[in-house]
Amino acid sequence: MPQRHQKQFEEIVERFAELKDTSELMIDLAYSSLLLNRKELAEEVQKLEEYVDKLHTDFELLVLSSGFKKEEAKGFLGLIRLGVATERIADAAAEIAEVVLRGIEPHPILKLTIEEAEETVTYARVAENSPIINKTLREARIPEETGMWVLAIRRGDKCIRPKPDSKIEIGDILIASGYAAGEEDLKKLASP
Amino acid sequence: MPRLEKIEYKPIPVRELLLEIKNLSELMIDLAYSAALFNDKELAEDVLELERRVDTLAYLLEMEILIAARDVEDAEELTGVSEVASAADKISDAAADIAAIVTQNIGVHPIVSEVFEKVEERLMRAKVNEGAILVGKHIGELDLAARMGVDIIAIRRNKDWIIDPKETEQIKIDDILIARGAPSGIKEFKELAEGRRLKLED
Repeated sequence: MPQRHQKQFEEIVERFAELKDTSELMIDLAYSSLLLNRKELAEEVQKLEEYVDKLHTDFELLVLSSGFKKEEAKGFLGLIRLGVATERIADAAAEIAEVVLRGIEPHPILKLTIEEAEETVTYARVAENSPIINKTLREARIPEETGMWVLAIRRGDKCIRPKPDSKIEIGDILIASGYAAGEEDLKKLASP
Repeated sequence: MPRLEKIEYKPIPVRELLLEIKNLSELMIDLAYSAALFNDKELAEDVLELERRVDTLAYLLEMEILIAARDVEDAEELTGVSEVASAADKISDAAADIAAIVTQNIGVHPIVSEVFEKVEERLMRAKVNEGAILVGKHIGELDLAARMGVDIIAIRRNKDWIIDPKETEQIKIDDILIARGAPSGIKEFKELAEGRRLKLED
């Protein structure tokens, strides 16, 4: 495969990976906003929805302008369809968030599980002197240390889906949920 | 075209229905992407079957909601439930579309799976054969995560799906296990389930 072609491919796959990660993050956040009845999480989902639309368009343009060969057409059609379905998943997440934003009195059923009803959401900014800087989430052991679970990482105007090998950077805002008791511990860990 | 199941009212609590629709739709997303990215037909078929199940559950939920709403307050509260269920149903439809890329032999360009192989864990299904050492064992005692970096995320037993099975769940002959993990661990796990490997190594 010629080098130029190879590079374009990597870009397409990268863009798709971001699209997929973002839509999955949106589902996680949308259900969390519902369980915890938190508008700010639902707003985060709505913002991400706009971002996904842009990502999706970029992705489609990249695929269409990649100059694929005739025998590759099927594989590229598959990619386009994968993108469309991923965008629909993001839309569905935004609809879940909309229920929260419309202020519909949440039915007790929507809390889904009783234990989670007592949980809270907190935002913690990672300061320069935090011991978790440059650590992966796996290494940082935040749930073990604080009892809080990281739902998303806000970095600049991006929102990242936390994975075990995601690295924590200075200035990251950790969006986490858990029992209120862990809130203080998380804030101390992030900015001692 | 598959025959559509006739929907008959069954009294199932709304909460249970909603939770199952949510859990199934989330499982379907994982299964569908893995099916498409690694061109796995069997996984794709599972997704299509789950989609039909979610459809049935969505009908049943709708019925429960219609029965439960008696006044304006009920209606206001239950609209939210209905909206969430319909969104989860849309997620399952999107997952089915992804699976259809595989079952309709369109496929995703192979270079995509090459890249994803490196960054993403993959899902695999394995049928438990008679004689496999997994038969009769509890999931907890297998210690799969420590041994080979594999997690069993769902079990299909006859027509039922057990999502996120507990450590105490016992593995039975003919179970279909859906597992997640690194490629090497997943391969070893499939051999164990199918009875082609008879020893659990540490």
